[in-house]
Amino acid sequence: MSEAPEPPRLSVEELTKLYRRATPGDQFRTLKSALLEGTLTRGLAPKNAITALDGVSFSVGAGEAFGVIGGNGSGKSTLLKVVAGILKPSSGRVEARGRVAALIELGAGFHPEISGRENVYINGAVLGLSRKEIDRRFDDIVEFSGLGDFIDEPVKNYSSGMYVRLGFAVAVHTEPDVLLVDEVLAVGDEAFAHRCLRRIEELLAAGRTLLFVSHALDLVEDLCDRVLWLDGGRARLLGSPRRVVDAYRQAVAEDEGREHQEAKSRSDARAESRSAGPQELETDEEGEPLRWGSRRAEIASARLLVGKPAAERYHFECGDPVAFEIEVAADEPLDDFVFGVAVNTPRGVECWGTNTDLAGLEARRLTGRARVRLVCPRFRLAPGEYLADVAVHSRDGTPYDYRRKVFAFSVTARERGVGLYFPEHRWETEGGVEWETVDESGP
Amino acid sequence: MVDTAARIFRFRGLLATLTARELKARYRGSLLGFFWSLVNPLLLLGVYGVVFGLILDPARGGGVDPYFVFLVTGLFPWIWFSSSLLEGASSLLANAGLIRKAVFPAELLPAVSVAANLVHLLLALPIAVGAVLVGRYLGHPVAGWGALALPGVILIELPLVAGLALGLAALTAHFKDVRDILTNFLTLLFFATPIIYPLDAVPEGWIRTLVRANPLTSYTLAYQESLFYGRVPEASLWLQMALVSLVGWAAGAWLFGRLRETVVEAV
Repeated sequence: MSEAPEPPRLSVEELTKLYRRATPGDQFRTLKSALLEGTLTRGLAPKNAITALDGVSFSVGAGEAFGVIGGNGSGKSTLLKVVAGILKPSSGRVEARGRVAALIELGAGFHPEISGRENVYINGAVLGLSRKEIDRRFDDIVEFSGLGDFIDEPVKNYSSGMYVRLGFAVAVHTEPDVLLVDEVLAVGDEAFAHRCLRRIEELLAAGRTLLFVSHALDLVEDLCDRVLWLDGGRARLLGSPRRVVDAYRQAVAEDEGREHQEAKSRSDARAESRSAGPQELETDEEGEPLRWGSRRAEIASARLLVGKPAAERYHFECGDPVAFEIEVAADEPLDDFVFGVAVNTPRGVECWGTNTDLAGLEARRLTGRARVRLVCPRFRLAPGEYLADVAVHSRDGTPYDYRRKVFAFSVTARERGVGLYFPEHRWETEGGVEWETVDESGP
Repeated sequence: MVDTAARIFRFRGLLATLTARELKARYRGSLLGFFWSLVNPLLLLGVYGVVFGLILDPARGGGVDPYFVFLVTGLFPWIWFSSSLLEGASSLLANAGLIRKAVFPAELLPAVSVAANLVHLLLALPIAVGAVLVGRYLGHPVAGWGALALPGVILIELPLVAGLALGLAALTAHFKDVRDILTNFLTLLFFATPIIYPLDAVPEGWIRTLVRANPLTSYTLAYQESLFYGRVPEASLWLQMALVSLVGWAAGAWLFGRLRETVVEAV
């Protein structure tokens, strides 16, 4: 959305938050600094402090939904707590105009022993409502929460969904100017999540401000006008939801790719040491063998090569050129051999498989060391995680060396869709159909 | 110090709700309910009364008669003081979920402990009044209109109790050792205050000076004056109480104000 002309509802400037690392020797020093300066962390050596937020700045206008994404421990929740005023910033400034309601954890502030009704009053009072104001909204709150008669039960008897429903109902009915929501929508059922979203949309339409922290990237993309990506307490990217969420997904997939690579080099090293010692059967988690065959030809290694120029990588973008490379060695010359590659999902769904025999390649001679590459100029797998099997066997199927799950890789895509395969495509229509083109790439 | 008081006042409605919740939650699911709040003081009263009034030579009890009645007038306010401090000190830790996950005025939590125990005191007071009246009926020179000063004494002690509860709560949130130190300190303080013995019974000299210098002594004397002897406490006693209360509130509220921002991270 465009920047509002009025001053922002919420502005965060150079926000830094340090946590004290729990070291017993520091206790009295921290007490001293807490008494003298009102902070636990000033005067702490950097090694004794954990930086949860590091110079984060942004501002959110009226009617704007602002999303915050990032991995676990990236500082999202700390940010929300500082904005809510629960935690004090170590340095920097947070300014919120109007009533701030925070929904940080389900049912935070509910007392388990007393009834939902009484808890609504307490919760409302904590959020700054007078008894009369709560009286006026009480029926709406109960109706919204869908608790019905349960409202008079002690809260300890509530399910986690009921907790969050009541908590959310109270928070949105305080008509906050700034609503902070931390990942709680995931707890309620589908119907309630929809009701929450409708209510949030209403608040936004009424010019309220939303700060939304979530791992549900699709939801963030749909709901938010701008998104901040936090990484290790720093603002890594701030911009349109599409761009930031994509960049985040990309980075996550790259990390996964690196993990796949590391896992692969570890298993390669294991295989190396094993081939030196007595042969033992390698198995996967389900106890299925990972490798078998007579080893008349042996697969020394298998790699995934991505891009142009090709480099060994275990993450790529849907449509990138990739090659499956098999390095093979045969002590004695062979004249009957077939190389094969198969790609499966981690749950075992076969996505694609082929071999040299199916491709019409007639084996003539394999001797010494050799490299075989299956090259795919545009590999259009759907986004996700995959596992590769490679094999060399005789034409009648007798395995020389069959290696399952030899490596894993992840795929990301800019376009959206479901399934396993993203063919190149476009929509064409004729006649009485009109489209409005939405620029999805954003500002 | 003033703003802590202002905040508590601003949230007085919430304070009342939370205190009611505290009392309700405490007795929900127990058969005798509210009567438990009387069992504890009465039990203490019985024990001290039997030990010091019957087993040990009653004549050495400083000549206060009836001893049970005397004991009641000092013991009930003491229980308010010590329970408020003990519960107040743990209140932030006990409600960590509330202050860590919601924007919550943390100063209310120790205040709730003080208020809930004040309710207990007020519920127990009729017993004390009844005891004094029985004493008078038996011909002892006790009771009088001075008892009407009692609310004033309670009111003037309130800032002290609240201030100490606040300060101790903030300290305990940072250092759990405070709770154990407090328990032991309160035991010491109890015997250093003329509750189970009259001040006159303390040998003259440094030891009486010490007991008299105990800040809590002035309140205990005031309770005994008004409730037991039925006299309005002297002006000097009021002045002492006012001074101690002011200092106690100021110290506790200052400590709390200093530590309140870091409490959330500490609990």
